[in-house]
Amino acid sequence: MNKARRRKDIMRTSVTWISASLAVLVLTSIFVFVFKRGAGTFSWSMLKDDYWSKNYLVAFGDVAANDFAPPDTDSEDEFFSRKFGFGLADSVDKENNQLMLVTTVSALSPLHEGTITTAGPDQGKVMAIPLNARIRRIDYLDQENNVKSTGLLGQDHSAEGAIERLEQEATAIREIYFQSTGGGIRGSIIATLMLIGLTLLFSLPLGISAAIYLHEVAPRNKVTDWIRAAVEMLAGVPSIIFGLMGVSMLFRVTNLFGITTQSVLLGSFTMTIMLLPLIMRQTEEALIVVPGSLRMASLSLGASTTQTIFKVVLPNALPGILSATLLSMSRIIGESAALIFTMGTAISDSPKISQGATTLAVHIWTVMAGEQPNFELATAISLLILVLVLGLNVTVKLLTYRINKKWQV
Amino acid sequence: MLAFKVENLNLWYEDNHALIDVSMDVPRNQVTALIGPSGCGKSTLLRCFNRMNDLIPKTKITGKILMKGDVEIRDPSVDVVKLRTDVGMVFQSPNPFPMSIFDNVAYGLRCQGIKDKKQLSATVERSLRQAALWDEVKDSLQRNALKLSGGQQQRLCIARAIALEPSVLLMDEPTSALDPIATAKIEDLMQSLKQMYTIVIVTHSMSQAARISDQTAFFLLGELIEAGPTAEIFQVPKDKRTEDYISGKFG
Ligand SMILES: Nc1ncnc2c1ncn2[C@@H]1O[C@H](COP(=O)(O)OP(=O)(O)OP(=O)(O)O)[C@@H](O)[C@H]1O
Ligand SMILES: [Mg+2]
Repeated sequence: MNKARRRKDIMRTSVTWISASLAVLVLTSIFVFVFKRGAGTFSWSMLKDDYWSKNYLVAFGDVAANDFAPPDTDSEDEFFSRKFGFGLADSVDKENNQLMLVTTVSALSPLHEGTITTAGPDQGKVMAIPLNARIRRIDYLDQENNVKSTGLLGQDHSAEGAIERLEQEATAIREIYFQSTGGGIRGSIIATLMLIGLTLLFSLPLGISAAIYLHEVAPRNKVTDWIRAAVEMLAGVPSIIFGLMGVSMLFRVTNLFGITTQSVLLGSFTMTIMLLPLIMRQTEEALIVVPGSLRMASLSLGASTTQTIFKVVLPNALPGILSATLLSMSRIIGESAALIFTMGTAISDSPKISQGATTLAVHIWTVMAGEQPNFELATAISLLILVLVLGLNVTVKLLTYRINKKWQV
Repeated sequence: MLAFKVENLNLWYEDNHALIDVSMDVPRNQVTALIGPSGCGKSTLLRCFNRMNDLIPKTKITGKILMKGDVEIRDPSVDVVKLRTDVGMVFQSPNPFPMSIFDNVAYGLRCQGIKDKKQLSATVERSLRQAALWDEVKDSLQRNALKLSGGQQQRLCIARAIALEPSVLLMDEPTSALDPIATAKIEDLMQSLKQMYTIVIVTHSMSQAARISDQTAFFLLGELIEAGPTAEIFQVPKDKRTEDYISGKFG
């Protein structure tokens, strides 16, 4: 090998190396970024809380004062009511409004056993004042049995003042008016699951039977070749166009069910059409791997074509079909453009099939699109999405590896 | 008695004339060997007997194959599925289903809609015994069939085919993927199976044809050159080309 050739070789290898390491670098920085920014906000309560904060008026039936021991952690900012066994602290929200947050509730505190009096479906239910609840007003009885109020809407505007007054004057607590924290993503998680469920319900039977028809039943001719080509092309259509098609055409279909707005159902119809090419392709690939000799064996034993498909071909294509399912799930979780049009961008805490809702990805879009972008929440959701999508993809890789090993005889 | 009577059979794959005017008899309860150089149409003829050629698009067939004397097997009134339960097939390379040994043998019966457990296990045992595999697998019927050795797999495929109690067993080079010991086992097996079944076997081994078959048919480029009792074909071939092929001068 002469010198010039060697130099060229080295140059080529280094270019490959540089681009490869660039790719790895970008990937790692995305992860580091999302994990660093998102991990702080990510919590169990974020997963299970509502997004919208709600107002609650909770009655305690004039429960009398008692004597509770303050918690060991005595912090400067926290003020504890020995009479009723709970702590308060001052805080501010994003818009710099003053807040009074519940920081501790003792185990036997009467605050665990309030009754909701706000009108609505929850009226009359027992409710505990949750941690981080935003206390607006506390109504209590003083020594002369007069009803008095403290809290931001009452006489005192700081945690210290409110607790001090309760400790001096109160003999019983009558009612607490508070706001739940909000900022959670439970609704969007449910909406995502609903969308996944509905979409798979429609797209799997359609896609799998179409693939079976094309690969196992239909004769190989111009028409089926043409169908195949059309499906391939469908795979290349940008998702925003599917979204447009969803609102303009599929909307009429959901209209037949009496749905007049954007809805989870409309989103699932749109995703179904979007995912058909993926499912058909993956299923067909899974069918191709099943050796023809097995079909021959089955037919030669007097099995019908249908029996051959259901007893021999499909069971052996199952891992491939499973990976098609998992890939579809990860596509649904990651999709946003098509869903903004078809499911809307309004976050719903109790999503319904017939109403609009946001999936996790669209939730990010919504919290970032407002006047005050909530970057922390957005990265925390991104973290969840990344973990889910990555998990699904790794599972698919493992499955593929196992399939390949199985037929490597 | 004849199992099959082939009359003026022609077969085209598109414009490839693969079988040319073939007429021959396949006697019952005998082993008939089909021999000839590669590409002469042996497998094609074999697949005509259970109509597996139906699955290959763009094939055209003329002529007749009469089964048990009078039934034309390509007649519209003949149910292919039923025909294939009566004419079993064993392929060149073992192709057990990736399921348990038991399920492999019971497959054909279950496709017939037979669910009775007793009947199934009785048939599985009988078939495995006839295929000389029972003693080796009787304690592990639930094992995956792919875990068996190549020779065992091929005997399993034979058991699977005879579980349906066919009258004919078609075998396309059933021992070409096997070692001499496994081959000997399968050859022994064929000798005992011919008491109950008519066997048509394709083979490239002259010695195998001579050892196991009662009848031999020699093909060349789609044409049947000569057919008759094996002893005659091997000792006093009428056609020069048969003699050349048997003595290894070409092929
Ligand atoms: N599925 C098919 N489609 C088209 N042509 C085929 C097909 N199978 C066989 N042929 C053609 O028919 C002719 C006979 O083939 P066949 O497989 O019957 O030969 P063979 O005698 O079994 O050969 P071998 O000993 O190699 O197995 C060949 O020319 C072959 O190319
Ligand atoms: Mg052949």
